[in-house]
Amino acid sequence: MPVIVREKAEKPFVPKPDDDLLVCRCEEVTKGDIREAVHAGLRTFGEVKRYSRVGMGLCQGQTCQRLVRHIIASELGIAIDGVGRVKGRAPMEPVIMKELALSRRDSKGVDDYAE
Amino acid sequence: MKRYEMIVIGAGPAGLSAACVAAEAGMDVVVFDENQRPGGQLFKQIHKFFGSREHQAGIRGVKIGENLLESAKNAGVKVVLGATVLGIYKNKELAVRFGGAVHNYKADAVVIAAGASENMMTFDGWTKPGVMGAGAAQTLMNLHGVRPGKRVLTVGSGNVGLVVSFQLLQAGCDVVAIIDAAPRIGGYGVHAAKLARMGIPFHTSHTIVKALGGDFVDGAVIAETDEAFAPKPGTEKNLDVDTICIAVGLSPMSRLADNAGCDIVYDGAKGGYVPLLSDEGETSLSGIFCAGDVCGIEEASSAMIQGKIAAAAAARDLGYLSGEDFIQKTGEYKDSLKKIRSGMFGPESKGRADIARTDEGYPLSRSLLQRGFIADDEVTGFPSIAHGGGTRAVIECTQNIPCDPCQDICPQGCIEVGENITSLPALTGNKECIGCGLCVGVCSGQAIFLINDDFEAGYGTVGLPYEFLPLPEKGAVGRALDRSGKEICDAVVVETVNSKAMGKTPMLVMKVPTASLAGARFFRADADGARKGG
Repeated sequence: MPVIVREKAEKPFVPKPDDDLLVCRCEEVTKGDIREAVHAGLRTFGEVKRYSRVGMGLCQGQTCQRLVRHIIASELGIAIDGVGRVKGRAPMEPVIMKELALSRRDSKGVDDYAE
Repeated sequence: MKRYEMIVIGAGPAGLSAACVAAEAGMDVVVFDENQRPGGQLFKQIHKFFGSREHQAGIRGVKIGENLLESAKNAGVKVVLGATVLGIYKNKELAVRFGGAVHNYKADAVVIAAGASENMMTFDGWTKPGVMGAGAAQTLMNLHGVRPGKRVLTVGSGNVGLVVSFQLLQAGCDVVAIIDAAPRIGGYGVHAAKLARMGIPFHTSHTIVKALGGDFVDGAVIAETDEAFAPKPGTEKNLDVDTICIAVGLSPMSRLADNAGCDIVYDGAKGGYVPLLSDEGETSLSGIFCAGDVCGIEEASSAMIQGKIAAAAAARDLGYLSGEDFIQKTGEYKDSLKKIRSGMFGPESKGRADIARTDEGYPLSRSLLQRGFIADDEVTGFPSIAHGGGTRAVIECTQNIPCDPCQDICPQGCIEVGENITSLPALTGNKECIGCGLCVGVCSGQAIFLINDDFEAGYGTVGLPYEFLPLPEKGAVGRALDRSGKEICDAVVVETVNSKAMGKTPMLVMKVPTASLAGARFFRADADGARKGG
C-alpha cells in the first residue's frame, strides 16, 4: 500500500469551461466537483468518492467510475492505474431494507422458490 | 445453509458454458443472473460469428444462445433469473437477492461470469435522451423491436460500433456517420466494408464535441482530433442526427471478484481492473474461478471456451473429472481458444497500429483502415481477388482474422484457408465453381461475391450477400453501388438464392455491364423498382 501524502494545492483552483459537465448522473456530481476534490488534496478514486459521493448511487459507479478515474489522473498528471479503484463491496447494488430484513441463512434450494 | 457444488454468476455465454460442463460431469449446478432473460448478450447478437466450425462460426449469436440454453436444460442446470448476487463472502458463501428476499447459499466452486459494462464518454449534452450506448441501441432493436431513432451517429469504430451500425441499417435507421478518435478503423475491415458499400461515411481522427437540442438530441457537432485525441478548434462540423450511439469499449465487471477478495490488477489492454487468474481461470482464491469478459474484454466465442475450462478445472478439483480426462478435455479447449484468439485483432495484437502487412506478406489496405473500403488500386493484390473468366468467387477478405467457414462450405473445394484459420482464403484454381452461392451466404464478414462475366453479351452478374428486407425480387431495377457506396451503373436483379445452408443471408444476383463487374458490390433498388418486381 503506497503512502499517500495529502497536501492542499498551493495554487488557487482554476475553473474550466466544462466544469458543469455532469459526470456521475446518479449522484449529480460534475467534473468541476471532482476537480475541486483533487485540488482539495484527494488523490484516489476512493477518496474522491467519499468526499463527493461520486459512484455511490444506483449504478454504483458502473457508468462513471472510468470517467472519474480519467479526470483524477489528468488533474494529477499521473497514469490511470495510479488512481486506484473502488473496492467491490457488498451489497453490489442498492437493496431495499425489506429485502435485507428478509435475508435468511436457512434458504431452501432454488427449486423451492420457482414460480 | 443450502449448499451447491457449483454456483455460476451470469447466464451469458461463459456462465452457461461453464454450467453445462459442470452439470455434464455430474455436479449440482445453479446459475444466477440478474436479468429477466438468460443468454447475456447472445440474444442481441443477430450477426454470424467468426471462427471455425468448433466455434460455431457462420452461426448467429442468437442461435448459439438457443443451443446453449437447450444444452443447459438437458444437462440439468438450474437457471434463476432476476437474481442478483449481492456479495461473495468467506468460504464461498453468497448472498443472492431474488423473489423479494435475500438468500444465502454456499458453494464448493464459484464461477464468476459477470461480463462487462459499456464505457461511456462525456461531452456537452451527453445526458440528453437520444444519447445511448451501442449495447442499449441493440437491446432496443433486437430484444424489444424498438427502433432507437431515425438518424444515427455512431461514435467508435470497433467491432461493436460496426456491428451495431449495420444492425441499425437493418432496422431501417439512417446511419449518418461513424466516427473514431483514432486515425484508423478499429474493428474488422469486413464489417466496415459492409457499411461503406452502402454509402456510410467513416470519419477517423474525429470525436464528438456536443449533442445539440433541447430536451432531446436533434444534432451533433463533431471535430477532428489532434494527436492527444482532443478536438481541434475550427474543425467542427454539424450533423443532422436524432440519436448518438456510443461504442467506445467495454469494462470488465470484476467487482464481485474484488468483493470476494481475489487479487485484482489493472490491465489497460484487457479493459480495466481484472482478476489475476491461473491458466485454468482460477483466481487467487481456491475454488473461485472467472470466465468471459470479466477476465478481460474479448468475444463471446472465447468466453464460452473460458467457461468450459474453468468448469472442467472445478470438476477435477471436486473429484468429478479424473486428471487424465481433464487434460484431454482442456487440451481441446485450449487449442480452440488459441485459434480464436489468433490473428491481427487477437488479444495480443489488439490496438497495434504498426501492422502493415498480412501474415502472407500482402500490404494491408490503407483505404480499408481509414475509409472502410478497399481502394480500386489495392484490390488486385490479394490471393482471392484474382480476375478471370466464367463464374467464380471473389473473396474480399484481406486481414488475418480467425475464420474459415468458406473453406468448409464450398462443395467443389474451390476455397482454401488451410490449417491456420487466420490465413487469407485463397482460390485453389484447379476446381470449377458451380455458382451455388453458399460461400456468399456463409461468410460472416459478407465479403464474398460471385462474379460471372459470361451472362450475356456486354453484361455479367454480381452475386452479393443481402441481409435487408424486403428482399428485391427478380426483375427489380436499381443502381449498383461500388465499395465506397457510390452509384456506378444501372442494375437489374436476375436471381435471388436463399437456401437453408446460407443461414438467412440470401445472395442477390444483379446484372451489370461487364465494365462494372470489378467494382459493383451492392444493390440499391429504385424507389419504385423494388415494388415493380419481376
